[in-house]
Amino acid sequence: MSTQDRVTINKLPTGVPGLDEILGGGLPEFSFNIIAGAPGSGKTTLAHQIVFANATPERPALYFTILGEPAIKMLRYQQQYTFFDQAKLNHAVRFINLSQIVLEKDLNAVLEEIAKEVEKASPGVVVVDSFRTVVRKALSGSNELELQSFIQRLALLLTSWQATTFLVGEYVEGEIRDNPVFTVADGLLWLYQSSDRNSILRKLQIVKLRGQASVPGLHTFRITHAGLQAFSRTLGLAGQQRKIPSTRRLSIGVPELDTMLGGGIPEGDSVLVAGASGTGKSVLATQFIAEGIRQGEPGIVVVFEERPQEYAGRAGSFGLDLETPQREKKLEILYLRPLDLSVDETMREILDAVVRIGAKRLVIDSLAGFEMALAPSFRMEFRESLYRMITALTGIGVTILSTVEMAESFTEFPFSTYSISFLTDDIIRLRYVSIDGQLRKILVVIKMRGGKHSNDIREYEITSAGLVISDGRLTDYQGLITGIPVRLHRSGEKEKPAGEPKPTSKG
Amino acid sequence: MARRLLACEAAAGRNSEPTRSAAFRVCEKLRQPLCSLAGVAGFRSLLSRALALARAEAPSLSAVQVGADGSLQGLDALGPQKDKDMSKEGGAILIAQLLGLLLLFIGVGVTLRLVQDVWPEVAFDDRDSGKEINA
Repeated sequence: MSTQDRVTINKLPTGVPGLDEILGGGLPEFSFNIIAGAPGSGKTTLAHQIVFANATPERPALYFTILGEPAIKMLRYQQQYTFFDQAKLNHAVRFINLSQIVLEKDLNAVLEEIAKEVEKASPGVVVVDSFRTVVRKALSGSNELELQSFIQRLALLLTSWQATTFLVGEYVEGEIRDNPVFTVADGLLWLYQSSDRNSILRKLQIVKLRGQASVPGLHTFRITHAGLQAFSRTLGLAGQQRKIPSTRRLSIGVPELDTMLGGGIPEGDSVLVAGASGTGKSVLATQFIAEGIRQGEPGIVVVFEERPQEYAGRAGSFGLDLETPQREKKLEILYLRPLDLSVDETMREILDAVVRIGAKRLVIDSLAGFEMALAPSFRMEFRESLYRMITALTGIGVTILSTVEMAESFTEFPFSTYSISFLTDDIIRLRYVSIDGQLRKILVVIKMRGGKHSNDIREYEITSAGLVISDGRLTDYQGLITGIPVRLHRSGEKEKPAGEPKPTSKG
Repeated sequence: MARRLLACEAAAGRNSEPTRSAAFRVCEKLRQPLCSLAGVAGFRSLLSRALALARAEAPSLSAVQVGADGSLQGLDALGPQKDKDMSKEGGAILIAQLLGLLLLFIGVGVTLRLVQDVWPEVAFDDRDSGKEINA
């Protein structure tokens, strides 16, 4: 069969930001779906969002309520959400209570009543909430075969009348097997809610969806005053074309370091700057972003440990103006520190900002702060999430510089506590060294995936001009990377103090 | 709002149902959409609560009952024979209490939509509805 002979399945919007992308474009029209989950997982709110997003006076939505949340209370609560459009009530959106019929009569009467209303209104969307109640009632008085027949007839009726249907029910995962409801359904959306220490995590999964490819796996979602907001694991970049790798090098804002990096950071790379507290990681990150602004490359700085004003103020003390580019929409400093943050939400914020200002450079300062801002459960997924985030962003051509704080060790030289060096293209390591009774600083380029780099160990200082690298290598010492170097006694040379570094560049 | 509905139904019922009180007619007209929305049990609960609240202000309503189907029983029996004005006032209080409960639970906007659907010809002012009911 050729592509043009195939039936086209229209996709309805869910009204839930992020969910259409997870579903593979939206809800298949005329499909028969189940929204399942435990109490409080957001099933009814999701159903309402779908209803209000699709209902029109010509193709209204019928919302059958059955012995679940009393309709009056449901209206009371649901109208608090911004998607709830009162103007649609009773015209485009109609609530019909079937409790009495379910209580007093059999499945045939329930089907008859639904059929009567459906034939009268010709709805585009039908919701039965809670369908679990119907099933319970059915199983108490009849056998499973009758229930299966009822579901089959209901699905036939609603599909024939060109309605997209949602049966809302409280189910637990073990019920999927051998349950006729799940067998007949075209789509199964499962909402989860779990607690971990003091955090609440909400996730959803498209367990089943006939006719189109959805994004597999569990996706986090939030419920706010605007209803549900879903965050796809692919961050909406699943079908996005990856940018052709660039050969361009970006200046980091410190000329000597650019030279050490073989001409700068390859565009689209992920750079990790690792070092102990006070070694100048944030200073270097600020120089990187400020240099980008100078070069006409908008940037985003994501901070977790200090507020944007403080961050910009500190940059100002190094002669770097981050206020003007913010006003000119060339720079955004995102402060992401709410409780229970999921990586996907953070990603969404960052991606939105990247799109908003067309960012070419991104600073994440710092990964430790990022991790701490996440709900405990997400911390376990931190590496995987970070991988997705970096891949997604570098894939669209953004150059990322992340900082990571390292506990200074004088017995080893680790690059990152997260074992994430495999996620980064380039690693710059900053560290303290004890030389001649002074605590001084050295840096070294550990890795450059994109080519050759300097192997030199260079001393640097944090001055009023930012991170400044001293002239030449430290050739008189052995074991610099241990932090406790030993001065070499070359023949004919006298031991002498290392001396002060001579600043040669401005950041 | 209650007074407007009662006036509207008093005028409409003068010819078609002269024996029925306006309050009964308002209740009956609200019963259908509210039963559809909240179920018979839901509507019955609301009306019973409204009646209990109204009785505190209008003892003449003590003989009035809410039937199993949510209909009002005994309201017309109070009627003109005893004290026409008291009966009328009791009915108005009952309707005001019922609308007051709807306002309390589902707010002005949704209540107005429901009521406007039943009485499309009656003009209501969104801003004054709450005040009116309690007035």
